[in-house]
Amino acid sequence: MAVLKRVQQWATFARIWHIYDAAWQNPFESAGVLKKYLTGLYKPIYHPMNDCGDHIVVINSAEIALPGDEWKKRVYFHHTGYPGGATWTLAWELHEKDPTMILKKAVYSSLDKNLQRRYTMQRLHIFPDANVPSDMLKSISNQIKQLRLVPKRLDTYSEEEIKSFPKIYDYPKPYILK
Amino acid sequence: MSNSHLFMKSGFIKTPGQNGVGRYICQLQRVVLKFCKNNGSSRGLRDFIEKELVDFAKDNPGTVVYLKPRRHRAPVIIAEYLNGERQYVNCHNYTSEEVSKWLNLLRTQAGNNDNIRLRKLWHTDHPSIQGPWTPYTFREPALNLVDFPNEELSKPLYVEPSATEKLLEIFKEQQRNLNILEKNQRE
Repeated sequence: MAVLKRVQQWATFARIWHIYDAAWQNPFESAGVLKKYLTGLYKPIYHPMNDCGDHIVVINSAEIALPGDEWKKRVYFHHTGYPGGATWTLAWELHEKDPTMILKKAVYSSLDKNLQRRYTMQRLHIFPDANVPSDMLKSISNQIKQLRLVPKRLDTYSEEEIKSFPKIYDYPKPYILK
Repeated sequence: MSNSHLFMKSGFIKTPGQNGVGRYICQLQRVVLKFCKNNGSSRGLRDFIEKELVDFAKDNPGTVVYLKPRRHRAPVIIAEYLNGERQYVNCHNYTSEEVSKWLNLLRTQAGNNDNIRLRKLWHTDHPSIQGPWTPYTFREPALNLVDFPNEELSKPLYVEPSATEKLLEIFKEQQRNLNILEKNQRE
């Protein structure tokens, strides 16, 4: 019985690995969803004092979509501690330097501000593209649903689909940009 | 639970199981009534001793009753249980009815329940037949065969149809109606 109980305990507190595709997703809205899985809030056994958070692998973080003019207007502040050590980095600049940083900071600030925060962040693995180490990919067993539909670009449609799309009239040739 | 109960011992209600030893008998094994013969605070206890104690002892042959007169000390009842616990009840200025009620409480309980915060008002060794929840309990079996990352699973559950999709739908319906009209005209 003791063996069975021990295994039961392992099963109940097993850490699940989720994967989340951040392509075309708002990182600040995604952070709320990721937080739920990172802290284990969705589990019926959840309690703030029990360690039941899951791992999340986030892919395509380079392709996140910020709303409105946030790329230009959102500013990340950092201070080295020395006089004159303050820097203000725009979101697009930060994203150029490290394409995982915006999402990481969004999740970090959405988490509860307590001692557990750093350890919870260690369970978040962000990758700028779809290249995930194979050992990580092996343990993944759930996909977190995206918040928004990924829009389809015109060049991904086939010729046939473009031709069969209903049109009221065809533009004359001089009006078409090549 | 209030703040004043933070350091209180917590526990669950329990029965004196002990593999059948000591079951079906009164768990109160010994009760000592300590009182003063003169002091007014012991008056209720003295009344109780005069009028009811003999009946109490007769009704509970399994319980040893001791009386301990002592000068100018507070009246107390000390109960000792089969599981080795002791309970101390101060009977300062109690009436004989109050003493009787307290003694009845001590007689009917299975151990010292003083200073214990009951976490729940019930207790079971097997809280669930199904077993505790695990992350795999209500999991869809189809997920076991999926290769991650998976595009289909990644899509949001519900998306409102866009304006383009609505227009396309209207266009398709128009075409359908036209086809039906043409058919009818041919016939």
